[in-house]
Amino acid sequence: MNILVCAKQVLDPEGVNSYALWGRLSVDESGRNFDTGGTIPHIVNAYDEQALEAALRIRDTGVDCSITVATVGAKDAKTMLRRGVAMGADHAIEVSSNESGTDGFQTAMIIANLVRELRNIDLVICGRQGSDFDQGTVPAALAEHLDWPYVTMASNVSIEGDALRVTRVTPRGEEIVETKTSTVVAVSNEIGQTRYPSSRLMMAARRMEHQVMDVSELLSEQFEGGVELIKLFVPELQGQCVVLDGDSPEAKAALLLNHLAEAGVLDG
Amino acid sequence: MASGVLLLVTRPPSKGLGKAAREGFAVAAKLAAELDEELSCAVVGEHIDAAANEAAERGAVSLLLLSNSALSAPGDTLTAAVTEAVRTTDPRVVIVPRGPDALELAPRIAIRLGGSSVTGVTEVRANSGEIEVVAAVFGGAARAVYRFTANGPAVIGMAPVLLEPPERSASRDTRKFIIDIPVIEERVVIIEPALDVETSRIEDARVVVSGGRGLGESENFELIRTLALSLGGMPGASRAIVDDGWAIPSEQVGLTGAIVTPDVYVAAGISGASQHMAGCSNARVIVAINTDRDAPIFRYAHFGIVDDCLEVLPELIRLRPEVSTSE
Ligand SMILES: Cc1cc2nc3c(=O)[nH]c(=O)nc-3n(C[C@H](O)[C@H](O)[C@H](O)COP(=O)(O)OP(=O)(O)OC[C@H]3O[C@@H](n4cnc5c(N)ncnc54)[C@H](O)[C@@H]3O)c2cc1C
Ligand SMILES: Nc1ncnc2c1ncn2[C@@H]1O[C@H](COP(=O)(O)O)[C@@H](O)[C@H]1O
Repeated sequence: MNILVCAKQVLDPEGVNSYALWGRLSVDESGRNFDTGGTIPHIVNAYDEQALEAALRIRDTGVDCSITVATVGAKDAKTMLRRGVAMGADHAIEVSSNESGTDGFQTAMIIANLVRELRNIDLVICGRQGSDFDQGTVPAALAEHLDWPYVTMASNVSIEGDALRVTRVTPRGEEIVETKTSTVVAVSNEIGQTRYPSSRLMMAARRMEHQVMDVSELLSEQFEGGVELIKLFVPELQGQCVVLDGDSPEAKAALLLNHLAEAGVLDG
Repeated sequence: MASGVLLLVTRPPSKGLGKAAREGFAVAAKLAAELDEELSCAVVGEHIDAAANEAAERGAVSLLLLSNSALSAPGDTLTAAVTEAVRTTDPRVVIVPRGPDALELAPRIAIRLGGSSVTGVTEVRANSGEIEVVAAVFGGAARAVYRFTANGPAVIGMAPVLLEPPERSASRDTRKFIIDIPVIEERVVIIEPALDVETSRIEDARVVVSGGRGLGESENFELIRTLALSLGGMPGASRAIVDDGWAIPSEQVGLTGAIVTPDVYVAAGISGASQHMAGCSNARVIVAINTDRDAPIFRYAHFGIVDDCLEVLPELIRLRPEVSTSE
């Protein structure tokens, strides 16, 4: 069985968050990038590390499989693919592109063509969304392009006989579904802890040879794209907090309950 | 040429549109007025009568009705049915209310109809006739403004918004169309459905009291539960303490947890990381209890108490009954 894991490199959302928490997040002249002077690293999208983990767990159950990790338009593909190989992936593919990566419709088209090019893929595992733009477009659009079924919010993925079995998280609890054909699955954080590659595997992965393709091999020039990022901005916070003064916790608590009653939001 | 705004309501609750669809309705109605175009509403699911009535009474000019039991779960039939509804109306914009269906359906129907989609949208506007949307990015730390470049419909998956739909009125004229549901072989087969017990959901609670690492230890989450109960609400938690096992996953509020829009949100011992705020920043009133006056939560809060939550929470629990009897 051949599994393709799609991994996106993102500007570390924790870093962006820290800048926001300090009130120092701003946008550069282009309007499309944060002005953080390159201090925030690019890392693999956390959900995608979990996507790889899901693939590796399939192999752990004794299913004979070949696992390929692919990334499109990463700033530093090598480092991230190396880590994927150290975790246990067999092959790694970088599709190089200068595009900003904010158009998931374009990325989905590129990955769909990659899957066609590779010919033998039985299962594609993605993350549920990029933790940069929080869209979740790529796996859904990819499934449509390939005309494969799509299951998202997966918390467990396994092979049972000739079927792919997926547990998915729904607002009403977990649900188990099966498909019998090639499928696109998007995993959620409920899948749990990912494995740490040992230092021996990390060393071995340094000799990894990854395949590099140019985006022009996979995307026609006529492609019109789906969405265009016009600009980023940092929202102003409300910043009108009424701090309740009182000389004891009790006094403050009483004051709060009065305010809430006055605002008419406690109807008992 | 495509025109009009279509609100897509999938799998509505049996009682009516539900909160998320009402917000979506408000956005769709406002945009239709701005564009001076028609507002239609497709209602797709198993039990759709109450929702369809409500959509008509709130001012949908035409209603597309698609109902059968195969539409009660996400899957190929639901996707095909929704695509059919959109194709029939050929709208310029499709609004998909927030919820689990939005994530899956918005990009899928966009592709099927040669359009494109953006999800997590907080604002939709027409800028000299061109549709622009604002979406939360990086867990809410920033916003992105997008435009649509594909030829087909602009499909917009919503985030929570604070907008009210038009009032209900029984005397409106509505055209109703019953759409044939395509017969499709389901490729994703449910072999063990979710329990589907009618439990109360934190998403619907009018009061949510949440705790974070500032509670110090697992046992103190009991204070959160007790206060939530006494305020007629439900307990919530930051991801940090769900990861630590102090609270259960269904209690997690935030980007990767529940998105709540209660009248009152109390955050005790929670720092206010954007990923947490992504789940609660649309509460009507936010209360922060935190020892650190500089904690980011105070930048979102309407009322703040700078103090130890382990001392303030018991007082709130003790005082609450007095307040209700004096009312
Ligand atoms: C991709 C991604 C998704 C995420 N999704 C979510 C999500 O859905 N939900 C979520 O919550 N987080 C999420 N997070 C994590 C988030 O970034 C924060 O790490 C988390 O919200 C912090 O939890 P906290 O506020 O409880 O803890 P901390 O950040 O440690 O804050 C504890 C706070 O308690 C205060 N405090 C300490 N002692 C007391 C006391 N005695 N009385 C009162 N206050 C006190 C401190 O001043 C501090 O402000 C996500 C992160 C990532 C990267
Ligand atoms: N540039 C990319 N390269 C590889 N995989 C990607 C890329 N962008 C998105 N994906 C995959 O699609 C998922 C959803 O991403 P997104 O649609 O950007 O929110 C990610 O978790 C990845 O698995």
